[in-house]
Formats: sequence, C-alpha cells, structure tokens
Amino acid sequence: MTATDLLVQQIINGVSLGAMYALIALGFTLVYGIMELINFSHFNVFMVGSYIALYVLEAFGISGQSTLMSGWPLVGVLVVALLVAMVGCGFLGVVIERLSLRPLRGVKGPSAMITTIGVSYILFNLVLLFLGTDTKNYPNPLPPLTFAIGGAVLRLREILIWVISLALMAGLYVFTRRSKMGKAMRATAQDPDAARMMGVEVDRVIMTAFFLGSALAGAGGMIFGLYYNFTSFVIGYSAGLRAFTAAVLGGIGNVPGAMLGGMIIGLIETLSGQVVAVRWTDVIIFSLLVLVLVFRPAGLLGRVAPNKS
Amino acid sequence: MSIASTLGRPFASMAPARRRSAATCAVALIAIIFPLIHGDDADIDSLANALSYAALALGLNIVVGMAGLLDLGYAAFFAIGAYVYGVLSSFQLQPDWSSFWEPFAFLGLVARMPGQGAVDVVHTTLSFWLALPLAGAVAAGCGIVFGAPTLRLRGDYLAIVTLGFGEIVPIVARNWTSVTNGASGLNGVAPPSIFGTSFGVDATPYYYVIVALVAALIFVSLRLRDSRIGRAWMAIREDEIAAGAMGVNLVRYKLLAFAIGASFAGMAGTFYVSKLQTATPEMFGFPVSVMILVMVVLGGMGSVWGVVLGAMVLQLLQSWFLPDLTDWLHQLGALIGNDAMQKIDLVQSIELIFGIVLVLMMLYRRDGLIPAHRKEAALTFEQQHAVVERVTAFALPGIAPPTARGKPLLEIKDITVRFGGLVALNSMTLTVPEGGVLAVIGPNGSGKSTLFNVITGLTPPASGSIRFGGKDITGLPSHQILQTGLARTFQNIRLFPNLSVMDNVLVGAHSRMQSGAVRSILRLPATKREELMARERVMEILSLFGNRLVPRVNQAVGNLSYANRRRVEIARALASGPRLLMLDEPTAGMNPAETMELAEQLKQLHTLGLSILVIEHKLDVVTRLADTVVVLDHGEKLTEGLPDEVRRNEAVLDAYLGRAHAAVKDIAVA
Repeated sequence: MTATDLLVQQIINGVSLGAMYALIALGFTLVYGIMELINFSHFNVFMVGSYIALYVLEAFGISGQSTLMSGWPLVGVLVVALLVAMVGCGFLGVVIERLSLRPLRGVKGPSAMITTIGVSYILFNLVLLFLGTDTKNYPNPLPPLTFAIGGAVLRLREILIWVISLALMAGLYVFTRRSKMGKAMRATAQDPDAARMMGVEVDRVIMTAFFLGSALAGAGGMIFGLYYNFTSFVIGYSAGLRAFTAAVLGGIGNVPGAMLGGMIIGLIETLSGQVVAVRWTDVIIFSLLVLVLVFRPAGLLGRVAPNKS
Repeated sequence: MSIASTLGRPFASMAPARRRSAATCAVALIAIIFPLIHGDDADIDSLANALSYAALALGLNIVVGMAGLLDLGYAAFFAIGAYVYGVLSSFQLQPDWSSFWEPFAFLGLVARMPGQGAVDVVHTTLSFWLALPLAGAVAAGCGIVFGAPTLRLRGDYLAIVTLGFGEIVPIVARNWTSVTNGASGLNGVAPPSIFGTSFGVDATPYYYVIVALVAALIFVSLRLRDSRIGRAWMAIREDEIAAGAMGVNLVRYKLLAFAIGASFAGMAGTFYVSKLQTATPEMFGFPVSVMILVMVVLGGMGSVWGVVLGAMVLQLLQSWFLPDLTDWLHQLGALIGNDAMQKIDLVQSIELIFGIVLVLMMLYRRDGLIPAHRKEAALTFEQQHAVVERVTAFALPGIAPPTARGKPLLEIKDITVRFGGLVALNSMTLTVPEGGVLAVIGPNGSGKSTLFNVITGLTPPASGSIRFGGKDITGLPSHQILQTGLARTFQNIRLFPNLSVMDNVLVGAHSRMQSGAVRSILRLPATKREELMARERVMEILSLFGNRLVPRVNQAVGNLSYANRRRVEIARALASGPRLLMLDEPTAGMNPAETMELAEQLKQLHTLGLSILVIEHKLDVVTRLADTVVVLDHGEKLTEGLPDEVRRNEAVLDAYLGRAHAAVKDIAVA
C-alpha cells in the first residue's frame, strides 16, 4: 500500500467509525438539548444494544464467519436485528428516564447527572454479572465482496454501516423538522416553560427524546459489533466517551453538530492511530475536548446562550 | 440502668457546641486506641486504606460539596501525588552520577549507587515526610494550571473537562514508561521511615500516619467551612452571579477550592503509594473518581464529617462486610442446595452496589447520611404572629453622610446594550448625585433591569462609559464594581437558599473582610475579631427591619416568606457598606402595608446618607422616595424630572397606557 492508499483506507475506516459515533452522539445531544442533562447512562445503553443485536443474530443461527444466509433473507435478518436492538434500547432509555430521572425533575444542581452515572454503573455491572467478563465474537455474515479504490479496500461491511447510519440520521432529521412531536421537541429545547404553557406535554417530549436517542445508540451498538467483530461489557465507556466528545465538539444540543462531530472524531481516531500511535489516540481526543470547551464552549455549530440574570 | 443511658444522660444535656466537641474527642479516642485493643493486622490495614479514601473524599468535598464544582476526574490529582513520591523514592529514574548531584546527596534526597555499566547512577531517595507536602503542592499547582482556563465554564461543561483530564492523566502514566514504568507499575517504592526505622509491612504505623493526616484535613476543612472562605465557596455553589455581585472573586475562589482539593488528593496519593509500595495507572481511573464522588454523595455534599463517614462505610463495606456476606450467602446456598447462590461474589459486585447507592441516595436522600445544613426549628406560632416592630431611629456604622452632597456619584454616558439585533439600551445617559434618590420607571421590557446589569458588570455594554465616584468602572468584573461602593438587589431575588440569613448577609460583608485561607485555618485573634465584628454588624443591619429578620437569623433563607427574602437581599447589599444602593423592584410581592413599611425604612437609610437608585413600579413608593424620576421606554430615556412632573407627562402616559389611551384622548377631543 502506498501512503495515499493508506490515507484513503483510514478515511474509509474513519467515516465508518464516525457514523457510529454520530449515532451515539445524537442521543447525548437530543437529551441535552431538551433537559440540559449529560446522560451518562447512554454509554451503557449503547453497550446493551450491541448485545441485543448479537443475540438476535445468533437466534437466527448467524454466528462466526457464517454464510448460512445470503440475499434477501440475510437483509431481512439484519433489519430485524437492527430494529430489535433499537426498540429494546429505546425502551431501556424510557425506563431509565421514568424510574430515575422523572422524580428529579425540577431539582437543581448536579443530582440528575450523578444519577445517570449511577444508572450507568448499574447497567454495566448487571451485564457483567449475568453475561460474564469474556469478550463475545460478533458474526460477520456479509459476503466477502470488496471494491478496490486504488490500493485501498472498501468492503461491503463499510457500505452497510454507511447506509444504516445515513438512513437513520436522515430519518431523525425529517422527524425533528417535519413531525408535530419534532416541532414540540425543538420548542421544548428553546424554552420548556413556554412550550408547556403552549400545551406541549414536556414529559412526553423528554420520553420521546430518550426513546429516539437510545434507539440510535442501539443501532450504534450493532454497528460496533459488525465493525470490530466483537462486543464486550467494556465498550460503552470508551466508545461512549468518544461519542460524547463528538457531541460536544459539534455543539451539544445541536443535531447536525453531532453528526459533524462524529465524523471528525472518527477520522481523528483512525488518522491519529496512523500518524502518531494508537496508545495516544485518547489523549489527542480528550485534549481536543478540553480545548474546544475552553475556547469554543458552544462547539463548532452551537451558539452560546446569553447569560440570564 | 444500662451504661449507655448513664453515659447518654449527661451527653444529651450538654450544649450543642460542647456535645460536638465531646463527640469529636470520643471519635479521636477510638481511632487512637483501636490498634491497641484490636490487634488484627489485616483489619488495621483495611482501616488505613479506608482512611486514605476519607482523605480523598474530604478534598473532593471542598471542590464539589462546598464550592459546587462538579469534578469527575478528581483521581487525576490522586495519581499526581502518588507518582511524585513513587517516582522519587524508587529505582525508576537512574541518571548517571555527576558532581551536580552532590548537594542533593548531602541533603539526603539522592544516593549514589553502582550502575549496570561502568559509571555509578543516582538513586532518588525522597523522604516520605518531605514528599507529603511536596505532593500536596505539586497537585495543587496542577489544579491551578488545569483550572485557570477551565473554571469559567458552566457547571456541566466543567464536569466534562475534568472527566477528560481524569482520562488523560492515567493514559500519560501508562505511556510515559521511562518515568512511570507504564502499565507494569513502579517497583520498590520505599516505605516511610522514622528516625531511621522503616515502617516495613506492619500496618499499624501506616494507620497512625493516616489517622493524623485525616484529622488534620478534617480540621482544615472545618476551619475553612466556618470562615469567610467557606462562605464564599458556598455562595458560589448556591448562585454564582449573586456571589460575584456581592464581591466574591469567582475565578480566585474557584481556583482556591480546586487547589486545596487537589492538595488533599496529592497527599493521599503519596500516603497510598508508600503503603502499597507500588503505583499502576489502573489505580487512578474513572471508576476511582466515581467512587470518591459516591463517598461524598453518600456522606452528604458539603458535610465534613459526612464524607468521612461515607468513605469509611463504602470502603469497609468492600473489605469487611461483603466477604462475610458472600460467605453467608454461599453457606445458605449450600444449605438449600441453590447453585447460583453459591457462585455469587458480592465483592465483585461492589460497583453495582455503588451504582445502586448513588441512584437511591439521589432519589431519596440527596442530603446524604449527615446533611451539611442542619434544619433549624421553625419559629413558634407566637413568634410568627408577633406584632411588627417599627424601628424609627437607628444608625449604621459605615454609612456616613455624603461629603459632597449633589456632586455626581454615578455617571452613565451614552451606554448602548445590544442582544443580537435587539437594542436593549440606546445611548443612555444618567446621573445619580451624591445623597440623591433616583427612581427608574418604565413599562416591562423598557431596559430597566438591563440598565442595572450593565452598571454592575453582568452585561457588557456595546459602547459608552460608566463612572462611579470619579472612577471608570466600565467593563470591570462584578466583584470589583461592588468594592467601589455599589451594591444591588435583583428583581427575581438571588439569595443563597441553603444558607442561613446570617450567612447570606455575611457574604455581603465579604469584601469588607480580609482573612485569607491560611489565616482562616489558623484562626488567629485578628481573624476571630474580624468575624465577630462582622456578625455584630449583620445583627445591627437586620435590626433595621425590626423583628422581621432578627428571630429568623439562623433559618435557611429558602424557607422565608417572599417579603422577608426581599429584606434579606437588601440587608446583604447593605452589609457591603455601599455608597450607592441599587434596588430592583424592592417592594414587588409585598402588600400595601409592607410596601409602606419598606419605603419608610429606605427613606431612613437615605437620611443616614445613602444614595439610592431604585427601579419601582408602585408610584406611591416612587413619589415618597425619589428626588428625581427617570422614565425609560424601548431602551431610551423618555423623560426625567420631579415625581409630580413625570406623573403628568403626556409621553409617559402614552408609554404606560399605550395607544388605547391616546385613542381615547383623540375621541374625547373630537
């Protein structure tokens, strides 16, 4: 591989990772935009999603390098796995919100954020307790079809990841722009009290935000498994933190910002692994996070709210 | 009669302060004699570990509990302190020996030893006793360097940045292998020694060191909490904008909290490493930061004894109770033939338990095991319904009659404020003369509160200048503006709800007091005197409102009635000894009798020599108080004049009553 090929290859990989980070980042952003809450439980909702999709795939007999299915049946199973992971995570998100966050509505200070840290710990340790510490292999059911771009290789896997992510993000965008609930969400994000007085049921809006955000994280969880061919109870923290950085980078609370931030983080991850060293990748990403917050706290696309007094 | 009740009776009859010191003595005594009566080395070891976490929790309590700065990467400072001692007392760094090292060898910091090659190398031998303050200082320094650019961020953003910092430090420790020996950890960290005798592996000497350290940190925490410093921190936690407006230098006090918190962690790190005699990056990751946070939350944020208890409970749960509980479960499982039960290992599930504790505490007991703010008993029915006393004659020290009555005190020239496209104030020009009372009136949205915000430094002006007492104060931070003698209240009342009336008003006196952190910890006679005088002054100011506030002086402000909260806010502003008092709708929410009572009291303050700038809607108050009335509309000055002139002004009537009024007039004319 020449240097250019390597660069192209890392960009392909980076965009795939970026799409996954963007999906997770959207969950952070949706909730933050409406409640101004950093939802740490989201990290492990994502992790649970990758397990759910794995078990659905295994239930259909797809495991390892299986070529059991191909064509439309395979597409069907992948879609089912994706949907089950998304709906499962969506409900998990709603339950978390209902049980641990709704009672804290209106409580000032860091209580809600600390609660989500606790919920995140609970999810993490429940998976650890019941599913064990070992890393689980993820199936790679796709036919080994590849396209050569110069010396770089574009696999069917990457294309699948891009298609899923694009479709979901486009869907979310249309939902927030066109639907009635989407309008209510945007209104609540601007001013919850005014929205409430205009007849918006803020509790339902929050529930929807948790459902959508968690569902996207579930999709992200499946993509993680397909990309890396494994899943483990520890993936929530590292991937979640990078996705969170993506959300902040793009401007937390800002939907297109989360997508942009995800792409940037994905590319930084693969390119810095290439240029510097993988072991410094996290330092680069977190330094970037600190720098963005210090010099442009609203992120790349966000706006700073004026100081109210 | 049992022993407990014999001992309990005199304890119950003691005064609260004596009861507290008796309890403290009892705890100290138990801590000291524990190893003598219970010789088990493993238990003493667990206690020593638990106490090092208590030291960490005390530090985080200053940052999170007192100053309200959510730090999710606190373990980074623990790591820094640990590596300072670990690296400098092990065989990790071995530069070649040269004469440069002679003076260090003389001081006992390094030793010469034969190296692998032909030349001798340096062996760093930093003493534990030197490392302790050094690690504290290095960690505090890192806290300042890291905090200076980040502490101005909003609360949740700060949490993220600290999380990032908490991630970076262990990764650096893992990758910087030449100094930290990477993931395999430092080897052969020297144990502390005293008078040439090494502590070795016996847990008891370590136990006494950490008992002494924790005792010192508790002492420091308590002294700081009950001082001007602690009040400033809590004011920042409760309401940053109000704290700044009352003269608290936000950046400085946040940095101070960060640095002191970090220094506690640095010392704890040095102790912990000297005891374990190794340090690996895994000892300082995010889970550790969260565990310390759980300790603080469990014990009660801001509560010094609470967080010590929280740390002890969680640590001893892990090392004492969970193994026993697991054994019992296994035996029970064997007894009833349940396989799953025999496999459960509760020690492994400690993080699950942390998570559950965290969520349950947040949902059901946010104040923690020992709440930081004691609830004062409510007033009795008689006290609540006492006849209102009117104080007619009073004097306030610090408020002197103006020297040059009528000379311009506050001069606002051509101030323009824009919010995006909206012009909130358009080249506003105003003057408050010394000894005068200027009332600002105008419909909602006419820019009155923006005017106050721009004067007190909360909103930056787009152009124009503000001078106070001849000094240019445009663009100064709020706390410096207060120090020039300009104190304000807020339209929506910004008090510190969890603090008592006394503490709220004392924050107002912050800028008139001088004691810094060191003097507050030592509590020198001068500091004591200063505090005492400030408290007396607060009582004098409160007595201005008769028996409205004096009986409630120890109540939390959040529990007061709306009108009383307004009075506390005025008292807080007065405590700063202002030359100009700025009141934003002081009588809002008061009934007519209360309104007139307050107007009377303000009038008296004015007679004493205070200049007043007041925003008010109630025209009878305006008429009674003001020499001059300024009418704002759409960010511009509509008119200015004597109260009676303004009342009859056509333009003012239009602005207040709108077009309808004009239309009615037109019809009448037609």
